[in-house]
Formats: sequence, C-alpha cells, structure tokens
Amino acid sequence: MSTAAAEHSLGRAEADGVAARARGLTKAYGSGETAVLALDSVDVDITRGRFTAVMGPSGSGKSTLMHCLAGLDTVSAGQVWLGDTEITGLKDRELTRLRRDRIGFMFQSFNLIPTLNAAENITLPMDIAGRKPDEKWLDQVIDTLGLRNRLGHRPSQLSGGQQQRVACARALASRPELIFADEPTGNLDSRAGLEVLGFLREAVDQLGQTVVMVTHDPGAAAHSDLVLYLADGRIVDRMEHPTAEAVLERMRLFSGSGAQPSGLDPRATADGAGAPADARTAGTTDLDKD
Amino acid sequence: MLKATLRSFLAHKGRLVLSALAIVLSVAFVAGSLIFSDTVTRTFDRLFASTSADVTVGPKDDDLEGQMPSGAVDTVPASLAERVAKVDGVADTHVDAAVENITVVDRDNESVGPTTGAPTIATNWYPTDRSPVELTSGHAPEGPGQALLDADTAKKKNVAIGDTLTVLAAPGSFKVKIVGIATFTTTNPGAALVFLDTPTAQTRLLGDPDAATSISVTAAPGVGDTQLKERIAAALGPGTYEYQTADEQADSAAASLGGFLDVIKYVMLGFAGIATLVGVFLIVNTFSMLIAQRTRELGLLRALGADRRQVRRSVLTEAALLGLVGSTLGLAAGIALAFGLIELMGAFGMNLKSTEMVVGVGTPIAAYVVGLGVTFVAAYLPARRAATVSPMAALTDAEIAGMGRPLRTRAVVGAVVGAAGAAALVGCALSSDTGSAASLLGLGVVLTLIATVIAGPLLVRPVIRVLGGAFPALFGSVGRMSQRNALRNPRRTGATAAALMVGLALVAGMSVASASMTKSFDNEIDKTLGADFVVQSQNFRPFPQEVTDKVRDTEGAGLVVRQRFAPVAVRLPDGKRIETTAAAYDPRLDEVANVTYAEGDSGAALADGALGMDVDFAREHDVTIGDTVPVRFPGGKDAELKVAALTDQDTADGFGMQGGLFFGTGTVERYVPEGQDSALYVNAASGVGADQLRANLERTLDAYPQVQVRDQADYKELVRGQIAVLLYLVYALLGLAIVIAVLGVVNTLALSVVERTREIGLLRAIGLGRRQLRRMIRLESVVIAVFGAVLGLALGLVWGVCVQQVLALQGMKALAIPWGTVVAVVIGSAVVGVVAALLPALRASRMNVLAAIAHE
Repeated sequence: MSTAAAEHSLGRAEADGVAARARGLTKAYGSGETAVLALDSVDVDITRGRFTAVMGPSGSGKSTLMHCLAGLDTVSAGQVWLGDTEITGLKDRELTRLRRDRIGFMFQSFNLIPTLNAAENITLPMDIAGRKPDEKWLDQVIDTLGLRNRLGHRPSQLSGGQQQRVACARALASRPELIFADEPTGNLDSRAGLEVLGFLREAVDQLGQTVVMVTHDPGAAAHSDLVLYLADGRIVDRMEHPTAEAVLERMRLFSGSGAQPSGLDPRATADGAGAPADARTAGTTDLDKD
Repeated sequence: MLKATLRSFLAHKGRLVLSALAIVLSVAFVAGSLIFSDTVTRTFDRLFASTSADVTVGPKDDDLEGQMPSGAVDTVPASLAERVAKVDGVADTHVDAAVENITVVDRDNESVGPTTGAPTIATNWYPTDRSPVELTSGHAPEGPGQALLDADTAKKKNVAIGDTLTVLAAPGSFKVKIVGIATFTTTNPGAALVFLDTPTAQTRLLGDPDAATSISVTAAPGVGDTQLKERIAAALGPGTYEYQTADEQADSAAASLGGFLDVIKYVMLGFAGIATLVGVFLIVNTFSMLIAQRTRELGLLRALGADRRQVRRSVLTEAALLGLVGSTLGLAAGIALAFGLIELMGAFGMNLKSTEMVVGVGTPIAAYVVGLGVTFVAAYLPARRAATVSPMAALTDAEIAGMGRPLRTRAVVGAVVGAAGAAALVGCALSSDTGSAASLLGLGVVLTLIATVIAGPLLVRPVIRVLGGAFPALFGSVGRMSQRNALRNPRRTGATAAALMVGLALVAGMSVASASMTKSFDNEIDKTLGADFVVQSQNFRPFPQEVTDKVRDTEGAGLVVRQRFAPVAVRLPDGKRIETTAAAYDPRLDEVANVTYAEGDSGAALADGALGMDVDFAREHDVTIGDTVPVRFPGGKDAELKVAALTDQDTADGFGMQGGLFFGTGTVERYVPEGQDSALYVNAASGVGADQLRANLERTLDAYPQVQVRDQADYKELVRGQIAVLLYLVYALLGLAIVIAVLGVVNTLALSVVERTREIGLLRAIGLGRRQLRRMIRLESVVIAVFGAVLGLALGLVWGVCVQQVLALQGMKALAIPWGTVVAVVIGSAVVGVVAALLPALRASRMNVLAAIAHE
C-alpha cells in the first residue's frame, strides 16, 4: 500500500515528493472591518502519489483551499506552488494553461459538456490544448473505469454514476500532476458513490496519480490516505489511514471544541492550534487502519 | 400573481433589453412616418390654402395623364380675365402665366434649379396677400429683361441682384437681369422660383401675349368661394374651363405634391414593416428562452396552486409591460426620427419647420397598437407553452423545456404551406398573363416565406451539419462544441436565423430581378439603339426647340430623328378605353433604331394618319392591321388613326409603355402643336468620326445643361442608374433588417450564454482559455448567421427567378443571377455573425469561473 508515501509526507523536506504546496495561504473576502477570512495563513503540502481528503464543516474554507491550490481562485496573501511552479501571481492565461495541462478536475455535479459524447468529454482538455492523447494510457483509464461501451453516449444518456466516472476519466486522461475532486460523490447514491471512490483509490494505487478530494462525508474520506481537517480557515488536524468511524468521531470532536474558541476570538485558534495537533497524534495511533 | 409578474419582469429586465429595442425600432418607424407625413400634409395644406386664389379658372382637365410629358402647356385666353371680372361678386382678377418646362442657367451655363427633381417655376409677378413670397430686396421686374429670384435659390446658387441669368423656355431662350430677391413667407416646397412681369411671362414663357395658364379670381366680401365658382361657371359655360375654389385648388396642389411624399411615407412604413416582422422573431425567442430558464420557477407556481390560465396570463402581462415600455420609447424615438426627417427635407430645400411638428391622435394609437400588438402576438405561443409546464417541473432537475419536443407539427404545416407556395410560384412562372402572374407571385412569396419560417427548425440539423461540418477538423473541440451548440435547440436557432433570412431573401430576390432587368435593358439597347448618339434630358423631360435646332446645325451631325411623347386615350375594337403615352418619331427611324415588325414597317407606321402598336397588345384588344382607331389627344382633340404596322419588340417599345403606340411627328405636331422634343437620335454625317461629333455636340449643348449626349454605353449607364435607385432603397431596407437580425443573434447568444453559465464555468475550469471560449461563441454565431443567409438566399433566388418570369411577360427576357452579390451576402453574413458575437463572447469570457461553476 501507500505507507511509504505517507511517511514521505510526514517528513515534508523532500520537494520532489510534493505535488502542491501552500505557505501562509490567506484568502479574505471583503476588506477592513467586515473582512472575512476564508483561509487564515494555511501551510499545506500535498504529497505526490497519495489520496488526500480535505474535511471540515460548511464555511471552514475547504472548497476555497482547493480552489486556491487549483489556480481557480486568487489568494489574498501567501504562496502556492504546483510542483516547482509558483502559481500565485500567474496571469489568467497561464493559470488556464496550468489547469488544462497539469490539473484534473471532478465536480459534484455538472461535470460534463452536454453536447459532447463521453469520449469527447474525456479528451476535452487535450483537445483544447491541441494535443494528441496518449492512446495507451487512455485505453487503460477507460478500461479501469469500465467505460469502453459508453464512449459514444451523450451525458444525458448516462446515469449519474456513469457521468462521474466519465468525469473521473477526463481528470485522469491527461495524466495530470494533481487531481482535484470537489464532493465527487455528493450527488450520487451510496453504491455509485462507492464505485467512484473506488476508482479514485485505484487511480492512486494502480495508476500512481495524486488526488485531493474535498468532502464532508466521513465515509468518503475514509477512502483516502490522509485526512486534513479545516475549521475557520485553518488546518486544525490531520489523520493518516482514516476509517469512517474515526473520521466521524473526530468531526464530532471539532464541532464541540473547535467552534468555541473561534466563537470567542478568531485569533485564539492560532494559539489553540497545538491542542488539536495533540489529538492528531493520539488519533493516528488510536485509529490506525485495520 | 401580479406582484410575482412584476418582480419577474424587473428581475429579467436586462434580458428584455434587446426585445424592447426591437419594439422601439418598429414603433419608431411607424410613429416617425405618421408624424412626418402629418406634419408635411398640414404644412402644405396651410401653404396651398393660404396661397390659392378664391376661385381659379384654368384650362379644361382632359384626364390624360401620361407617364411622359409632351412638353405642351395648356393655356386659356388672357382676355378671359375681363369676362370673369364682369361676373357679379368678383372683386379682382389676375392673369397667371406660370410654367415648369423651363431651365434657368447662370453665366457658367450651370442650372440654378433644384437638383432634387423639384421643378423650376417661372411665373408672372403680381404681389397679393396670397403670394407665398414677398419682395425683400431690389424692385419688382419691369420689362422683358428683368426678373426676381427666390431667396433660397439665390443663396444656394450664389446669385445676387445685378447678375444675369438665361431662361431656357419653350418659345426660346432669353436673358434676364436679377433686379430683386423674393423671400418665402410660407414653407418653401423646394422649388426654384423666377418672377417676370406679366407681359414678359406671357410672351417669353407661353409664346403668346394673349395667353394665360389660369385666371385667379378674388371674391368680393360676403361672396362664398363655391357660390362665386358657380356664377363664373355659369357665365363662361360649365365644362368649357376648369373652375376650382381655393379648397379644391389646394387639394389638387397637395395631391400633385403627394406623390413624392407618399413615396417617403411608404418607404418608412416599409421600414416599419421589416422592423416589426424581424422583431417578432426576436421577441418570440426571448420569451421562449426566459420561459425555458424559468421552468422550475413556473413549476413551483403551479405546484403552489396557480392554474394554467394564471401562468399564461402572467407571461402575457410581462409581454404587455414590455410592449408598453417599448411603445413609449418607440414613440419618443419616432418623434426624434420625424424631427430628423424634417431637418433632412430642409437639406433638400424644403424648409419645413420642426417646431410645427404635428403629432396627431392617430400616431400614439398606432404606436401602441403596433408595439403592444407585436409583443403580445410574439409572446402568445411561449405563454401557452409556459402554461403547459407541469408542477413536477419544480421538483425534477428537468432539462430545458422545449428542447426535445418533436417538430412533427411544424413538418406537416411547413410542408403543406410550402407545397402551396411552390405551386403558386410554379403557376406564376407558367402564367402568360401579367396580372395573374403577379398575384400568384405575391401569394407564392408569402406562402414560401411562411413555410420556411415554420420549417426552419427542421432544416437546422441537416444544413448546419453541412455548414459546420468542417468545424471540428478546423477548430478542434472548440469547433465541435460551437457546431453542436447551434444544433442544440433547433427552434431557437431557426427563429434566430429566420430574422436574417427574411431580409436576405428580399434582397436576393430584388437583386436577381434588378440584375435581370439591367441585362434585359442592355440587350434591348444593344439590339434596338442604332443611333450614334441620343440627346436627352436627365428624366426624359422635353426640351425647347432651340436644342433641336442647335443639334441639327452642329458640324458633323448627319441624320437627326426626333422623338416626342403625347398622352393619349385610345378606344379599341374590344370596347376598352386605354390611357397611355404614345411616342412620335421622324421618318427614317430605321436608321437610328432597329425595330422588329410583325406586320408593316416604319414607313407605313410613321405615315400621315397612321399608327403603329405592339403586336401582343393588338392581339389582346382585337386590333388588326388596317383598323381605324379613335385617338384622343390632350385638349380634347380627336383623331382617327389607321393601324399600319405591328411591332414585335422584346419590350413594348423600349420604354415599357402600355401598347407601344407610335406614329409620325407630323401627327403629334398637328394634335399637340406646343409639344416639345423629348429625345434626338443623332447619326454622324458620312466621314465624321463619332468622337468628333460627340465633341461638337457637347460644345453646342454646353448652354443647355438640361440635356446630355449619350452613346449606347452612356445610355446603358443611365438605365442602370435608374434601376440602381430601386436597389439602394432595397439595400436600405436590408440594412435595417440586418441591424435587427444582429440584435436577434446577440439576444439569442447572450441568453444562451446565461443559460450555459455552469457549462462555461466548467470549460474554463478544465482549461479552456478566454480566447478559445470567445472563438467558440463566435463560431456558433457565424454558423447561425450563415444558416440564415443560406436559407434566405435560396428562397430569394427562387423568388428572383419567378419575378424574372413575370418580367419576361413585359419583355425583360434575360435572366441574370448576381453571383457576386450572393457570395458577398454569404461572406457578409459571416461578418454579421462575428459582430453579433462580440458582446456575448466578451461577457462569457469575463465570467468568474468559480461563480459560474456554482451558478444554479
């Protein structure tokens, strides 16, 4: 399994093992007195070849974090790198090219262009770039996702699960450095959801991809190698080799203890960051994968 | 419910802007044309009412209104004034001597007359309180060498007191010194006025010191105009002369001016019609799209208990609000348009006062009827569709309504109407009678247009597959997506393209017709015009005898054949009385023209007491050679002419006048003695080169700017120029249709972009660049526009060929398809597509990616 990769991520020093990195990442909406901090000086490393889940209650900044890491949103302060490229400060055209060539996306819904069939949707980023897809890789992706006999179908002719599989295939097709999945199972029934999560898992294990998934579903997060917990715009905890029960437990913990200090004074979280960090160590030992 | 409707209207106001603009344009043209014509009518009614004498005695109206003027001026004896003066109740009489068949030139032989086609009028000077002008500087003309000029002309042509002008009048040219300037106290209708003293006007303009063009009578106080008219008629003999009261005079004067003003009015109404027709498509599309976007909202209303009628009424109320706003703005725009037109008329020398603009009661009524009516009609179908939205639509994440609905009804209706239209067009092409062919043509045009509009959505798929077929290969997935976006909702694409189609079909049809006419005339001129040169005025107006004399005396001129026109009425063996214009030619016509005869020859036709006519016309009216036909000339002079020749020309006689009647100049000189020559066909004397003769003729005619020397090529140019005027009008209509069609494409694209916000967000997220996104929208726009153009051209070409078939019955047998125009229209439509896509594409590319993804 991915134990080696997990250990790499703990020893953050090796730059070549990091797919994306953020330092002092801050995102504020509004200005002055009314400013709301969506991300508050976040430092994060996304380890290559791992499946990272980002969790947190609504408004914790988990989607914003993903958008900033993916070059979809601008940052207020701090720096973000994709591999060795600093993406903060890039112009729209460079960001667009970066997303097209180096990042794969899966969204909760409305992932596919309705006028294009499955095959055309899968190769769309490469078509946009004017590049020929790597046929061998493409075949492998299509077969892995079981889409071989669905390629000529339009999205309206596919079930929700099939649509997300096509989206998954598109994200994988250009063999990106990083795949961002935003609640990919949010609109699916549990069976189809499990299927998609299984494919993401496979993408990491068998195809060597790096996946970052934003979710609020502990069951979904349990498929990852590492769970990052966000609250009030900060990473408040991390859990290696999570299980659904452990994730759920941890979430309960945060909705109890994490919310209070921030309710009194947002600044307090900075000092209090140590406390959940302790819990993290405990959690890692307690709730190690079975 | 009303509250919800109002909210919805205000919430969507941005999306209704272009629909409102379409309504504003149609209403503006309707209101503008009404205000303009009301203003002009009022102004001239006032002018004529204030300047007409109480009673006018003029020459008897013989009801012969020819297409071509003979140049003769009808007169009454001046001594009539004394007889009229004796009638009880007459306070005063004046002799009028006013003519329009003159040209006035300055020292450089440049005409001082209006260049707009308005006449130059020379008349005798007697100031009364009815005069439209007053002497503002200098003194009244006295004696043969003096004249007044109107101030507007003097200013425009830089003529001052003391300058010498030459009046080229029918009896002969004479020089006058300007001794005074007369300024209009009323509206100047655009004419140039020259005033002479009465004896000079009689001798020099009418060629007879005892002639008058009419007698103006002032009634004694207490005597009514009608009463006085009856007394005068009784005294002089009813039916001997034409008697008119001031009102009647004003009416007939207004009527003669009305022709020109009617043209402007109908052109404006044509614009209004096109704007309205094209605007309907735009509004239908807008409402269809708004309703499609609001399917869930409407479903919710239904789920909450609103019944179908309420939903439908809600949409129609929204339409009514739009119509109300559009009509009001359109009315304001119409006032501005009328103001602009009135100012424009000023540039043509017609000094209407925009401060005296007349906005009649009918104008706002018409504006609101058109604006509200159009919006209501256009919104009705979408409103009905909205009412069929089921309450379930609120609960399901339904695909946009109307997308997948079958087009079967359209196919059936389109096919039936199309078949009827096609049958009418085939009938028109096969018909041999001009009248029935023209009505079949009209029917066919309307039916095929309706069929194409109805069936348009069905044609979207096959045609755009072909048009956009190369897109995926050329532009990759961007091209593929744009092609498929255009195919996505065939109704929408069809309706958007239909707006463009209507305009382009009209233009294509008119282009084929005019190209065919030009080619036919070219052929005709090549075939028939045998003379080296034709001397003629710009608009076929007759010219003084002097010109003919000078041409005859020109060094190097050989044969000169005169052509004259005379309005006539013929009584034919089948009992019909036909009013037309006959032509008269000198003998030796064959040397300057190639006339094809079915029977007889030029010699017989031009002989004394003989008549020639078109063989088809003769057959139609049971005329056979040797028949004697009664012919009435102006002034009630009757002649019995013997049909001596039947011509078999392609066109009736090269001028398209009914019957192609012609005879010798001897005949016309006998019955219309004051007639003038309308054209001179000149051949070079033997041994003289054409260039030499031309140079000589031009030198000779330098003093007569009203006539030009033309050879075959120049003559073709002239005809082309006249056909081109028609085309310019069509192009102007096209321009407006295209403007609205562009608005339609912009509207559709803008609403589509809103509708596809999430899709655009997704595309941007996975790496579609702004430029690529813009290109995608641009290509979609281009393919829609070219689709409209292809449909329009196909339809228009069919129409054009049918029009030509009808014209062929009139002798215009050549068919010409202006391929250059066709290609230009296709390229132009692609440009239209690019232009229309500018704003929607910009808007799409500026969308915030995150907001777009999150868009509901």
